[in-house]
Amino acid sequence: MSVTKRRLTIAKAMSEAIAAAMDKDPSVLVLGEDIGRLGGVFGTTQGLLDRFGADRVRDTPISETAFIGAAVGLAASGMRPIVELMFVDFFGVCMDAIYNLAAKQSYFSGGRVPCPMVLMTSVGGGYGDAGQHSQCLYATFAHLPGLKVVMPSNSHDAKGLMLSAIADPNPVVFMFHKALQGMGWLGTVPGSIVHVPVEDYTVPIGRAQVAKPGQDITLVGVGITVHYALEAANSLAAEGIDAEVLDLRTIAPLDRDAIAASVRKTRRLIVVDDDYTSFGLSAEVMASAVECSVDWLSTPSRLAYPDVPVPFSPALEHPLLPSASKICERVRSLLRRRAA
Amino acid sequence: MNSPVPVMIPMDLWDEEGEGVIATWLCKTGERVDEGAALAEVMYEKASMEIAAPASGRLLILIEAEAPVHRGQLIARIEA
Repeated sequence: MSVTKRRLTIAKAMSEAIAAAMDKDPSVLVLGEDIGRLGGVFGTTQGLLDRFGADRVRDTPISETAFIGAAVGLAASGMRPIVELMFVDFFGVCMDAIYNLAAKQSYFSGGRVPCPMVLMTSVGGGYGDAGQHSQCLYATFAHLPGLKVVMPSNSHDAKGLMLSAIADPNPVVFMFHKALQGMGWLGTVPGSIVHVPVEDYTVPIGRAQVAKPGQDITLVGVGITVHYALEAANSLAAEGIDAEVLDLRTIAPLDRDAIAASVRKTRRLIVVDDDYTSFGLSAEVMASAVECSVDWLSTPSRLAYPDVPVPFSPALEHPLLPSASKICERVRSLLRRRAA
Repeated sequence: MNSPVPVMIPMDLWDEEGEGVIATWLCKTGERVDEGAALAEVMYEKASMEIAAPASGRLLILIEAEAPVHRGQLIARIEA
């Protein structure tokens, strides 16, 4: 007797998690641009307006300053708002509400006024949308105390992380990668579409997961870079190289224990990151790795997006992105250096 | 042996004559699917709709993701 597989895209899994939370708790609300009638430009709020009505699922004018500020106020007064910043690139006009108000509310009030809000936002490029619609900016948010930052690589984790984020008493930035959403016009990495249980469950914030165990080298990724790493690990297996792939799932707080456990075993590390190279997530992961005592077999290394704005032309953009073949090349060169 | 069951874009999935697009296949060719399971998501005018399996059996995809489709079009078969 086969159990029917319930495959969902990340977009559907996010919508399902939000609906489940709204069902249980009338204080959960959704605000944002095109999240009502359209169901979200990236499909994150499908079916919510019909089910819960316009009082709880509200399309806002194009003013992130206003509606994200409003969400911080709602969270301070007992509501649990979920707001969508359509592209993370647009954070400039609402950052004061995010990092000076939301992130510090609990701290400034001695824990008396929590800020249970979820800021969900799309990240990533690769589809020719140029420099103001293609950035990742993981480290920009993860750098700031008081903010948690999560990003799923598959629909199972998307539902569980969203339910954790909504339940959290403090602000959680829920990032989702456009190329994993399951919206046809952005392409979809098939590995992101997995079985999602009907019932509610949580994926804990701050916990990474080994996506593929291995002995020879650790490949760390998050979101789409997990899929590049898995593809690379698959090709490398044919050459007798056994790579471990670690899916961070949460960017802040970073699961340093999981990074340490993996590199102590493999003693080799490549961090794959589609955000800018300098001062970024990849540097933080490498710092965590070198802070634990490991007798390295090769120097830890990062493979990230160069420090340039994202070009519009696919001919210019695509060679700059991390890829499975770049990871394979880097792994081979690290292992060759050891052999030499 | 039963003949394969066609998987079509339902005629009432949208009202006009326009083209939609297969946003993504949720299952792969060769995979066993159960009747009623979601097989694919189809987008029309930015709205997303699911195509459910009309029967149980082995899926054979005929139209790949991101291809434009019209109402009534055959997109896959399910073999018993």
